[in-house]
Amino acid sequence: MKRLGPAILLACLAACRAKEGARPTAGVGPTPTEAPRPALGFLDESREGTPVAGGLLRRRLVGEPATLNAVLQSGLPEQQVLQYVSRQLVDFNSRLELVGNLAERWIVSDDGREYRFDLQRGAVWEDGTPVTSADAVFTIRRIVDARVPSPVFKPLFADLEVIEAVDPASFRARFRERDAFHAYAFALPLLPAHRFEGQSFLKARDNRAPLSNGPYRVARWKTQESIELERNPRWNGAAGHFDRIVFRIVPENSVAYLALVEGSLDETWIDQPLKERSALDRRFQTCCRVVELYNLDYNYIGLNNRSPLFSDSRVRRAMTMLLDRPAIVQGLYRGSARIISGPWAPDSPAYDASVTPLPFDPQEAAELLSQAGWRDTNGNGTRDRAGREFEFDLLVSAGSNAGRQIDEIFAEELSRAGIRARIRPLEWATFTDRVDSGAYEAATLGWAAADPNPDPFPYWHSSQVPPRGINIAHYSNPSADRLMEEARRELDPEKREAIYHRLHRVFRNDPPVVFVVNATQKYAFRRRVRGLITSPLGLFGFSPGPLSWWGAPGDDVSAGRK
Amino acid sequence: MISYVLRRLALAIPTLGGIVVLVFLLLHLAPGSPASAAGSAESGRRVSASAREEMRRLYGLDRPLPERFVRWIGRVARFDLGESFADRRPVSERIREALPATLVLNGLALFFTLAIAIPIGVAAGGRPEGVFDRTSAVILFALYSMPVFWAALLLQTLLSVKLGWLPLYGVSSDPAPAGLAGVADRLAHLALPVMCLTYASLAFFARLVRAGVVEARSQDYVTAALARGVSRRGALWRHAFRNALLPLITLLGLLLPGLLSGSVIVERIFAWPGLGRLYFDSILSRDYPVVLGLSLVGAVATLAATLAADVAYAFADPRVREES
Repeated sequence: MKRLGPAILLACLAACRAKEGARPTAGVGPTPTEAPRPALGFLDESREGTPVAGGLLRRRLVGEPATLNAVLQSGLPEQQVLQYVSRQLVDFNSRLELVGNLAERWIVSDDGREYRFDLQRGAVWEDGTPVTSADAVFTIRRIVDARVPSPVFKPLFADLEVIEAVDPASFRARFRERDAFHAYAFALPLLPAHRFEGQSFLKARDNRAPLSNGPYRVARWKTQESIELERNPRWNGAAGHFDRIVFRIVPENSVAYLALVEGSLDETWIDQPLKERSALDRRFQTCCRVVELYNLDYNYIGLNNRSPLFSDSRVRRAMTMLLDRPAIVQGLYRGSARIISGPWAPDSPAYDASVTPLPFDPQEAAELLSQAGWRDTNGNGTRDRAGREFEFDLLVSAGSNAGRQIDEIFAEELSRAGIRARIRPLEWATFTDRVDSGAYEAATLGWAAADPNPDPFPYWHSSQVPPRGINIAHYSNPSADRLMEEARRELDPEKREAIYHRLHRVFRNDPPVVFVVNATQKYAFRRRVRGLITSPLGLFGFSPGPLSWWGAPGDDVSAGRK
Repeated sequence: MISYVLRRLALAIPTLGGIVVLVFLLLHLAPGSPASAAGSAESGRRVSASAREEMRRLYGLDRPLPERFVRWIGRVARFDLGESFADRRPVSERIREALPATLVLNGLALFFTLAIAIPIGVAAGGRPEGVFDRTSAVILFALYSMPVFWAALLLQTLLSVKLGWLPLYGVSSDPAPAGLAGVADRLAHLALPVMCLTYASLAFFARLVRAGVVEARSQDYVTAALARGVSRRGALWRHAFRNALLPLITLLGLLLPGLLSGSVIVERIFAWPGLGRLYFDSILSRDYPVVLGLSLVGAVATLAATLAADVAYAFADPRVREES
């Protein structure tokens, strides 16, 4: 479930492509608030051993990219391939700071609405043409074009007022509102404007054979099988270590695990059951290792605050106290999860570690429910109020095993407290349809962070309830509203952090939903892959990400394929 | 005979129309839309109502249902299946890409199924309730009830990972060897998925053949053949089996379109780039043009095969065409 769901931020998914050769810059302007030191499980092998150049890296894609057009991309597979091929204007580093890449520096106006970017000189496309501000302007104009579906970037540029080139090496972008996080939108790969002239943007040949401006280029794409990258001969920056990267499309997790052990893949995402299996698998232990890290994702049980069941803050507190989160951490995640008390993961700068989560306390919860008027007046074992029984459907995406298990623990405790929750697994599109349209009472959801932006405004501000926005809980709290408005306008990172910490307390005492846990992400790697760096953005979504990996020579793999 | 074929053909047209309308309606009235399917349980994302509206407009889903249907049918009449929502490539191109992989896989599976099931069925039917009949029945039903995803993983663990005899997944090695070695490589990659598709359908065919043989062997012409001094084996194969074959041919007609449909589970487990995966992914992502295109192709293939079976049957059995 962690991976379950939804959350929006995917929106910013794209936001995180990493690039080698990113140079730290004198970016003025809202530098992101500094991340707290990662609590545990973070790796930095960049100083261990001497990287060896050459060889082949076999990576896994869960599904086939629909496109390799950076603007049209919509999911993880696309991001993972483009990371090697398309440089972004700016990148996040492993400490969640913005650093320049194609953009050498950027300046923010005093009112926080206008950005001017200066491009690095010498950057070229694979065909030899230079990367210019015309490419940046073209890319951003396509994003805001109403005829172009750009699910990842559109929300980030929704507020754009003007975008124009100043000269071939610089451009400016002006937004309607001041927002501390506008700069994050420019963690954006560029498209070569000249390649799309006189072509339909949606059907251009380049969408499957993109022109590279990064260390690798696309050599081959075998539909539903694999995508192969080779070094870009025009690339003049710091190179990646491998000569070739092959992405194999392997939909099933357990098969990817076997492929790893057998030696035809070098890395794969794994889930908790596979992690447990790997601990007992002697062959795995000799060839492979598990890499586990906390990122910024978390999961929660969404409560529709418009429903008479959950409109009372006391009821929502009671619901939180009825979910046995310590048992979930121990039983379901075997300790590799952290209970959260607000809408961020503990490694987010917005998270205030001193805000303790509400305890698991069924007695106190029963008290709160009674105070809110929910008592079992007709003696049928279920609480009721004004003739309405306290029962509801708890929706869950059919693909989410962890979500399902959390729901079962929850429903059992609820029934002891006189509340009937019926677990309803739904196919993904149906599930999101119900949740987004507000036709639900409770749903098991996740939040997947794609960039470090902690701004809760789109998800919890009362002005953002559907149809206008995505506050699907229909949460409304005037003091939370005020703090959210204040925070996004505050350009000073420290002051902004202080506001978030105050907001965190509001969320704890008047919880919009039941926040559950931030669980680890688990990956398995062949031992020969070295130089891993992890960050709160995971293994991939930052710079240098996978570009720091290298292959120790003398190890199996290349020979291991049949 | 010709009028019989024409009559069957005339009947097939309204059937096809019915299927097309039904699929179109089912798909468009099902909950969810391309916008809500964006992302996945793995990487999901929330989409605001206004963004959803914009996407609906982009895909032309804001038009009324009848209008969309007429437009689609109009294009189909010109042999144009439209463009995939996912990557804007022609649906026909996406189908053409995935077709060969599925055809080869299913074709081989069907071949092996018959090659194994028929001898078993004849042998079992030759001596009903005999030792072979009983043991084969038990084994076949055991195979029949083994879930394919479980069996596949078991075979993969054993034959690929532990023993290293067969490739784990995919259609070929990377890089694929050239020439004869390349063919051998492809065949090796086919082995496991073909096994998985074959074992489960053995029971069905073997029992069908057995039933036919059991019935035929008590017929007078078999007794006569035996009396003439034909060997038991000869009587079984040349006389009993030939007659038992008749229902099998009809059934085959119905099964041929299945060659196109692909098996979602097997194709996913073996990362096989076939139609089953394309269909499944397209349904999940509500890629309407691709789902409609594949449904249409499937419907046409089914009708064509049924028609062919009807005709073949009429050809073989004069009673059919006289009665109808």
